[in-house]
Amino acid sequence: MDTILVPEPEESLPSLSVSNDQGILQWISSVDHKQIGIMYLWLSVLFLVVAGIEILLVRLQLAIPNNHFLAPEVYNQLFTMHGTTMIFFVAMPAIFGFTTYFVPLMIGANDMAFPRLNAFSFWTTFFGGSLLYFSFIAGGAPDAGWFNYAPLNEYNYSSSPGIDYYCAGLLFAGIGTVTASINFVVTILHYRVPAMSLKQMPLFVWMILINSFLILAAFPSLNAALAMLLLDRQLHAHFFSAAGGGSAILWQHLFWLFGHPEVYIVILPIFGIFSEVFPVFSRKPIFGYSMVIGSGIAIALLAFGVWVHHMFATGLGNTVNGFFAASSLLIGIPTGVKIFNWLATMHGGAIRFSVSMLFAIAFLIEFTIGGLSGISFAIVPIDWQLTDTYYVVAHLHFVFIGGTLFGLLSGLFYWFPKMSGRAPDQRLSRWFFWLFVTGFNITFLVQHALGAMGMPRRVYTYPNLPGWGVLNLISTIGAFLMAGAVGLLVYILVRALNKGAIAASDPWDANTLEWTTTSPPGLKNFDRVIPVKSTRPFRDYKRPEDADWKRQEVAYTEKPPDIDITQNNSHGE
Amino acid sequence: MGTLLFQWHADPFVLLMVITLIYFHYWISKATPVKNRIYFWSAIALIGITTCSPLHFLGMHVYFSAHMITHVVLLLIAGPLLVMSIGPNPSAPMLKRISAFLYKRSWLAWLAAVGIMWYWHIPSVFDGSFSGMSGFTPMPVLHAGSMLLAGILFCWPLVGPVPETHIHPLSGIIYLATACISCSLLGLLITFAPINTFHHYWMAGSSMNGMLSNPWGLTPAADQQAAGLIMWVPCCFVYLSGCLYLLRHWFAAKDPNTGLEPSISLTLSINEHE
Repeated sequence: MDTILVPEPEESLPSLSVSNDQGILQWISSVDHKQIGIMYLWLSVLFLVVAGIEILLVRLQLAIPNNHFLAPEVYNQLFTMHGTTMIFFVAMPAIFGFTTYFVPLMIGANDMAFPRLNAFSFWTTFFGGSLLYFSFIAGGAPDAGWFNYAPLNEYNYSSSPGIDYYCAGLLFAGIGTVTASINFVVTILHYRVPAMSLKQMPLFVWMILINSFLILAAFPSLNAALAMLLLDRQLHAHFFSAAGGGSAILWQHLFWLFGHPEVYIVILPIFGIFSEVFPVFSRKPIFGYSMVIGSGIAIALLAFGVWVHHMFATGLGNTVNGFFAASSLLIGIPTGVKIFNWLATMHGGAIRFSVSMLFAIAFLIEFTIGGLSGISFAIVPIDWQLTDTYYVVAHLHFVFIGGTLFGLLSGLFYWFPKMSGRAPDQRLSRWFFWLFVTGFNITFLVQHALGAMGMPRRVYTYPNLPGWGVLNLISTIGAFLMAGAVGLLVYILVRALNKGAIAASDPWDANTLEWTTTSPPGLKNFDRVIPVKSTRPFRDYKRPEDADWKRQEVAYTEKPPDIDITQNNSHGE
Repeated sequence: MGTLLFQWHADPFVLLMVITLIYFHYWISKATPVKNRIYFWSAIALIGITTCSPLHFLGMHVYFSAHMITHVVLLLIAGPLLVMSIGPNPSAPMLKRISAFLYKRSWLAWLAAVGIMWYWHIPSVFDGSFSGMSGFTPMPVLHAGSMLLAGILFCWPLVGPVPETHIHPLSGIIYLATACISCSLLGLLITFAPINTFHHYWMAGSSMNGMLSNPWGLTPAADQQAAGLIMWVPCCFVYLSGCLYLLRHWFAAKDPNTGLEPSISLTLSINEHE
């Protein structure tokens, strides 16, 4: 039997770059968690650029009233693909990239529990994204919005194959997401270094653990709905067609039963990233470690008790609306708890304003604005007034960009030296931060006003009503500022990879195990792992006289034994 | 409204159940602290309210939503209170055997509770239970008693009298979360079920006269939706409170791994991946 020799990596990954002396096949065939993590991140960057270009075209169309730069059909395809891509192929792969790369490192493991399943998860996501984009050359992209409501998604109303590609693409990606989550759960529960109890696990890992259960509970609903829709469209079933005895509202229930947990799925890991970043750059332990975990669990459970607030305008009746208004108001509490955890962590700390920390502080402000506009939707009459207006667009972008993307960027600037072994240019990085934050606020703050003035979302153009033109123009200018900032980010990253200063293995004086490895980590993460006796094991190791566990265990008087070599500093072992 | 407040009905079988509970409580725990006595008498008061009071009357004859409140109170509040009233480490060997049995088979406790909950809401069983309650029958005690039993079984592995036989708090969170999902699904089915799925209340409106037929003027649809939603949304918060309670106890408990373990073996451990 012929055998194909698949090149195994022999040296540690030199950088984030795809160029590798063993060729591209080595990347494609890789089951190494660091390589797969990096591929997730590159996939995310690729789709960020693509979905960003789509929305720039949309913003150009909206820059002036009565514009005819884009045809209505093209406009619908572009905003649908923008939303779908950003959620499923930018936010999710970026989160999974950091997770796949750092969870094993943070718990002292050498790889994921199921390395091949890990590769499978990545490649199904990749294939799902490719399939979604193949629709452009196969007769038209999906054009029914990212939540793809019935009956518009039915064959009678959308006969182009776009929706079929939406179903197939998201199904593939969904399968990849579920398998990845199983992998994370088993890795975290089974492959922690034996000394690390659950109560000492880094909060990022905790949030990933909670999030993985959330994914396992939420995604089956989406996957089932997509399969049902495919049956409707291809085999003339009528799950969502009222004419055949089905129910169009059923799609909304199934979608939001997934969709509301999904917005927490893309924010809980971000809370985890911030719970690493705030303590490190405030040089204090996290305030309320157990509260961060408890509120994370509360958020995950409540996610399934509030989804109907997306459907207040569908006519479910005052009884239903009343219950969900109450539960939706309550969900602000656990998120508020976390905000205060981070504020209290910063309070009295010796704060270092690195770019990572700048994004974290900006997040506190922007995400709170997004949270407050979100709470306003819990009040049913306000929801009726503002639903499907630009106020919703402003709200969700404050949450997704001010929350998720700021968190990912904070994580990127925090972990980039570890992943690449290079330091990005500080001055340019700060320029990027200010440009991006300014552009973001210019783009989306005004959209609150536009929505309150009654501008509906998803219209390809609008009449020249007082104020609409100028606010839309401001928004478009902001969008281009953000695009410029993203261009600068790509330049910063590429330049850092090629000729950035060599990064130290622990540039931030950090607390967790991933920083005990070299930058970038060797092919095999660890030979030995330092003792884990508190939530900040690396800090304990660096400052044995001031270790956290000594303060926790005052009664414990015995000196810890001296350990000399605890980290593997050589490449390629 | 005035007449509603006088609708107290004592069922002899239910009284017998309450007397038996009181007898057992004082037999099992002769010298329990005041806290446990408070738990116990709160549970008895709740059982009384849900089986004899105007709430019971409303639930039996007028409102599905009132009926659902009695279910939630019996299952999620009275049952756990009864279990917590036993106090830690009782001497009765029977309780230790139950604890040991349920510790190994916590899934059975989960299944029994969820099964009983779902069983009473199968539309034909639901309607049948009401027609069986007219006259001198054990049906009310079967109904309330089984709900109470479900509550007792359900929380036993979490707050049972023998602390060593409690399941791990994190497993407890999964235990509660999955029960919450099952409860939500049932609530969801009731909320969105066609209005004539549960005949009893659909028919009740026409059979009653005067103020008592519908004192708050709820439509049957709103009443059924409220019933489903009570099971769906507030129940979730009860389960969530349980999760946070377990988590608080887990963090408060001494972790054998924290600080006291000799560190040398841990340092040398290599987490080798096969």
